[in-house]
Amino acid sequence: MKRLSLMAAALSASLLCTVPLLPAGAAEIPTYAPLPPAPADAAALPTVVILSMGGTIASRGTPRLNVANYGGKGVPRVDPEDWFADEPELATIANIRLEDGRPPVDRASGETQGDDLRVAARLRVLLRDPTVDGVVVTHGTNTLAESAYIMNLIVDSPKPVVFVGSQRPWTALSGDGPRNLYDAVRVAGSKDAAGKGVLHCMNQVITPARDVSKTSAYRVQTFKGIDVGAIGYADPDQVKFYRAPLRRHTTQSEFAGRDYADLPRVEIAYAYRDAPGYVIDAMVAHGVKGIVVDGTGAGSPTTSQTEAIKRAQAKGVVVVATARTHGGRVQDTPRRREARIVPGDNLVPEKARILLQLALTRSTDIADIQRIFDEY
Amino acid sequence: MIRPLSCCAGLAVLLALLPVRADTATALPEVRLFTTGGTIQSKGAHRQKLMEYSDGKVSPTELVDDLPELRDIARLSYAEISNIGSGGIDTPKLLLLAQQINAWLAQPEAAGAVVTHGTATLEETAYFLNLVVKSDKPVVVVGAMRPFTAVSRDGPMNLYNAVRVAATPAARDMGVMILLNDEINAARDTTKGNTYRVDTFVARDAGPLGFADSDRIVFYRRPTSRHTAHSEFDVSKLSTLPRVDVLYAYQEADDAAIKGFVSAGARGIVGSGGYSEPLAALKDRGIVVVQSDRKGSGRVVKSEKVAAKGQVTADNLPPHKARILLRLALTRTTDPVEIQRMFDEY
Repeated sequence: MKRLSLMAAALSASLLCTVPLLPAGAAEIPTYAPLPPAPADAAALPTVVILSMGGTIASRGTPRLNVANYGGKGVPRVDPEDWFADEPELATIANIRLEDGRPPVDRASGETQGDDLRVAARLRVLLRDPTVDGVVVTHGTNTLAESAYIMNLIVDSPKPVVFVGSQRPWTALSGDGPRNLYDAVRVAGSKDAAGKGVLHCMNQVITPARDVSKTSAYRVQTFKGIDVGAIGYADPDQVKFYRAPLRRHTTQSEFAGRDYADLPRVEIAYAYRDAPGYVIDAMVAHGVKGIVVDGTGAGSPTTSQTEAIKRAQAKGVVVVATARTHGGRVQDTPRRREARIVPGDNLVPEKARILLQLALTRSTDIADIQRIFDEY
Repeated sequence: MIRPLSCCAGLAVLLALLPVRADTATALPEVRLFTTGGTIQSKGAHRQKLMEYSDGKVSPTELVDDLPELRDIARLSYAEISNIGSGGIDTPKLLLLAQQINAWLAQPEAAGAVVTHGTATLEETAYFLNLVVKSDKPVVVVGAMRPFTAVSRDGPMNLYNAVRVAATPAARDMGVMILLNDEINAARDTTKGNTYRVDTFVARDAGPLGFADSDRIVFYRRPTSRHTAHSEFDVSKLSTLPRVDVLYAYQEADDAAIKGFVSAGARGIVGSGGYSEPLAALKDRGIVVVQSDRKGSGRVVKSEKVAAKGQVTADNLPPHKARILLRLALTRTTDPVEIQRMFDEY
């Protein structure tokens, strides 16, 4: 862990390199205006850890108009120290500590659930440190919401944990990364953010991990709380909250307070016209403990899937229904109850999967798992 | 059954207790319906008429008798405040409504209250109540986009769901709520966003609190702004409120409207955009200026420049709601610093 509280040194170093022509691959941050002034009382600033899990916000691309085909083998990544060097004014809003939680650069596969569980364990350690006020986790946007939701269920601290990413690489023209990172640090240092569970903040919008989804491939306003919306904003004058989330999280979570080496295997079956049952049979043959069926309409599997669900349940597999509409709840109906299918509330299937994985660490009882889906 | 009462404002007020089914009624929560009128209580010339439906009014008894299912979920009584479109809801009616709701909710047997209202200014009444109701029991304001007589009318399901929410303990301390189209929205944050669609009410900045789904009432959020039982505003002894007007902002807007407001006795003016020069002069005349915005989403951020002019920023309240908060604020103070605190908190 590197501690970078040498704010004055960092600020003056940056002022010296106000070079209008940036070298290829450096951050595309305008230098037309000076840095914001240093705070009068730096000791009163909150201490925020920025933990990198990589992603577009940690990616480089050339030229600066490249917002779709960046990073990749052999292209140097943006290290946490690079963020701080490019945007030293982070030190005017918090005492920043930097930490690198990225998977190894040479690993064949991308991020795994094992990485999430490793980071969750690390967050638990960081947040137990009385000198840490909050943590920002940077993450690729594709699976950011899943990673944030698993932390929301496992991390046992009321201190703010804020997930952030960017839609354009760190090096892009009008890149959203620098402002997003700055705002995420502000939210992580905000007392009002405490006790609200793991949060997401991009595009100045603060949304709880449970409810946030990526909704657009490229737009900067991609993250939305589809059913229940944002709970606050990182506005220019202040971080302002309007809502508190009611579903159980962090300190109220029965899954928090321990580390996990791995989780029971749960897979997702997508429903569409004529979706076959053999995919579900294959999942059972591979030894899954649970299956999330992302059903049509209000959560309906096809006839073939329904038959396969019965075969799976006969082998002890727990089945949860979500709705591929990705808006609205799957309701508790007599027919679904008779079929012993647990309605997944309004969770998107990838989050219902995570909750079911954690639920299965404690119970295989349908009534108990139903309670968990009602409460989280 | 219906006894006409008269009130100080000279309104004909009808108050009645409806008989309920005695066998199941004792265990059910007691909800009182306060009716003010609106599309939900309007009749059209024919059943495809979705506009200009002024061919008759629906009385509270007719409204409730049309929906016998209500008797399975609550013991209902009603008080008729008015039977008019929401454009006619004025300060005396607002004060009467607030005072009657407070009197009802103060009774131990009261579980909650439902208010029927025309949708055009529904959000204004709901926000007013959100600031002056002295109880954490649920208050739900409901309306309809299609008249009582229309095919595919939305009113009955909205009313049924409103009563369900008002009877739900989980709805306590949520502030005053607006219910149409299955969505439970917070009075403070919700606005009518479309002239005719049934999904007209939208909370642009903070989203719904929950949903009246058919299996159960589900809440996902609690509002964090001050409201109802946590509010400092008290209208129990008031018969009027200070006059506050809204100045619409547009290119070349000058001080003509401001002069009119001032001569009419305005003690506060809510601006709706950046054209603040004509407003700056009002400080010396003791008229409080609040800067809101006509965009309908996002905060007017706090600014030292605005504060130095003795003006107040409205957070993300739209002008018509900033007006309501300013009227109530002016019942307590004219100090811009204190009024800014209220706009930060409510």
